[in-house]
Amino acid sequence: MSKKVLVVDDDPDVRSFVVTVLEENRYTPLVACDGVEGLEMIQKEKPDLVILDVLMPRGSGIRLYRQLKTDDALKAVPVIMFTGIALRSFLKSQKALEEFKGEKVPEPDIYLEKPVEPQELVDAIKKKI
Amino acid sequence: MPANKILIVDDEQVIVRLLSMSLKSDGYETFSAFSGEEALDVFKEHAPDIVVTDIKMPGMDGLELLKKIKELDPEKEVIIVTGHGDIDSTITALQFGASDFINKPVRDEALAIALDRAKTKISIREQLASYTHDLEEKVAEATREIRRKSNFQRLLIHSSHDAIVAFDQDWQIVVYNPEAAKIFEKKPGDVLGKMTIDELYTPELAQYFRKEAENKANDRDMPWQEMTLETRSKKKIPVRYATNVLHEKKEFMGIVNFFQDLTEIKRLEKELIQSERMAAVGQTVSGLAHYVKNILIGLKGGSYVVDVGLQNNNMEKLTTGWLTIKKNIKRVADLTQDMLTYSKERKPEAELCFPNEIVDEVVDLVTDFAASHNIHITKICDPELGEMVLDPRTIHRALLNLVNNAIEACLELEEENKKFVVEISTKKGDDGSAVFAVKDNGIGMDEETRTKLFTPMFSSKGGKGTGLGLLVTKKLVEEHGGTIDIDTSLGYGSVFTMRLPEQPGDSRNGNNKG
Ligand SMILES: Nc1ncnc2c1ncn2[C@@H]1O[C@H](COP(=O)(O)OP(=O)(O)O)[C@@H](O)[C@H]1O
Ligand SMILES: [Mg+2]
Repeated sequence: MSKKVLVVDDDPDVRSFVVTVLEENRYTPLVACDGVEGLEMIQKEKPDLVILDVLMPRGSGIRLYRQLKTDDALKAVPVIMFTGIALRSFLKSQKALEEFKGEKVPEPDIYLEKPVEPQELVDAIKKKI
Repeated sequence: MPANKILIVDDEQVIVRLLSMSLKSDGYETFSAFSGEEALDVFKEHAPDIVVTDIKMPGMDGLELLKKIKELDPEKEVIIVTGHGDIDSTITALQFGASDFINKPVRDEALAIALDRAKTKISIREQLASYTHDLEEKVAEATREIRRKSNFQRLLIHSSHDAIVAFDQDWQIVVYNPEAAKIFEKKPGDVLGKMTIDELYTPELAQYFRKEAENKANDRDMPWQEMTLETRSKKKIPVRYATNVLHEKKEFMGIVNFFQDLTEIKRLEKELIQSERMAAVGQTVSGLAHYVKNILIGLKGGSYVVDVGLQNNNMEKLTTGWLTIKKNIKRVADLTQDMLTYSKERKPEAELCFPNEIVDEVVDLVTDFAASHNIHITKICDPELGEMVLDPRTIHRALLNLVNNAIEACLELEEENKKFVVEISTKKGDDGSAVFAVKDNGIGMDEETRTKLFTPMFSSKGGKGTGLGLLVTKKLVEEHGGTIDIDTSLGYGSVFTMRLPEQPGDSRNGNNKG
């Protein structure tokens, strides 16, 4: 059975791109448009991997990522951060959040900065599942 | 210091000893001498305050001693002891400056009284002296102070960073400091007291200050003003200047001019503007790069989807990919247009149009998108707002920008069950202008965002905003002679109100296209 990959992104262009890449590589794509929908989807569908945008309305990717990594049932799901934001800025905001909330979450498994070639994305997914 | 030292002189040693004993017991310090000559030596050595001397003595007598003492120190008190009825000697002694007389035989009370009188005299004299001394001191101090002040004033004028030139009532130059010399390029020695206003200033400038002097009845100085000063050597210097017309008892006394050379300041100002512009360019470039990167992401993704569609003969993929590409091409086109609008001056092209119809067009453009995000668009159009001469393109673009921002403001506020509404309303302003208001109940703005709204490339939307929308809107509206007002509250929403005055002078025969 093909593996399920969830893409959470508010940009329909990014969603259709990732979905196409997934289909072409025989994964089963699942989509969500924002953080809230994303969490529901993860709980319901138990995807094998999540491709997550950072800047989104309704619960940013950062929040969803933290929810995943602090939930014992979900923390094992590998996450690819897929965003237009430079890793540096992401880690900075992570650090600020850590200090604020007093809890530490591991850095994302893979961090991809948009735009990427389809093959880069596939390679990243293959590393994890 | 109280007078306390007494010299007693008599050839009869017994008397000297008796007096001395009695005075010592009264607390005096006493010295004795048994002749005029000896007395003089003791006097020189111990400088007693008071001398009590017998008048009749062998050798140097009392009168002679009195004379010598007064020569040495006229301040000393000499009390003469005379025999009864010796009027002649008494008068002579008085002439020589004796201070008192006591008769022989000397009684203690009489001596005490005489001594007291002498002491009072001494103390009065001392007070007087110290008073006089004080007075002299004070006068000296005052003189020094005055000198210091006038020096200070001279220094002040001399070292002032302002050029100071003052003229007396005959327009002769009486003050001319080094800064003034720098501006007018003439040595103080050649100017002070030698030139009049007409020789230092250009005829126009001289005339100007003469007028000022005539027009000004009181001494109130005029505020600082700026001008370009031309010197007689044809140098042009940007200056700030102030003038004081001086009067004394309503009589014209002269005039003082202060000039500040602004050359350096102007240069710094220019530099500052330049560097600010450079910083703005830097900000612009990085903001733009972000936005362009987002477009690139769309284009790359879209073309991949199209490729896949072509390979697999999949019409659905082809369509999705192509839509993505078209959407991003439009973003590039819009961005380019915004940048061009912002950088180029543009005259509004006014024509007869119906503002309310333009509102309809804009609403049609955004309703579907808004509805798909649960945002309700409403319009309240004032029927009074009929056909007007305005630039429909200005209205269209400005409104679209404001409405898009309003929608985005709703998207940004993460409140699950809020009913988001963007309301567009029009009305005829009191002055006949067209008034458009775009109201949203979205995220609103904090003070910082509020102040940065119109800075180029300021966007709170990361790579999703260009930060050009409001800038372009403002520019279009201002070119149209209109205004934009903002009312906002963080977490509750904003109202953008745009007023556009009808364009005068434009032909009313333009066709109504929008
Ligand atoms: N209606 C609004 N409510 C809240 N913020 C707004 C609104 N309109 C504009 N802004 C703020 O002003 C910024 C600049 O707007 P704009 O010039 O249109 O650029 P952009 O929309 O591309 O960010 C926005 O990023 C946003 O922070
Ligand atoms: Mg905008």
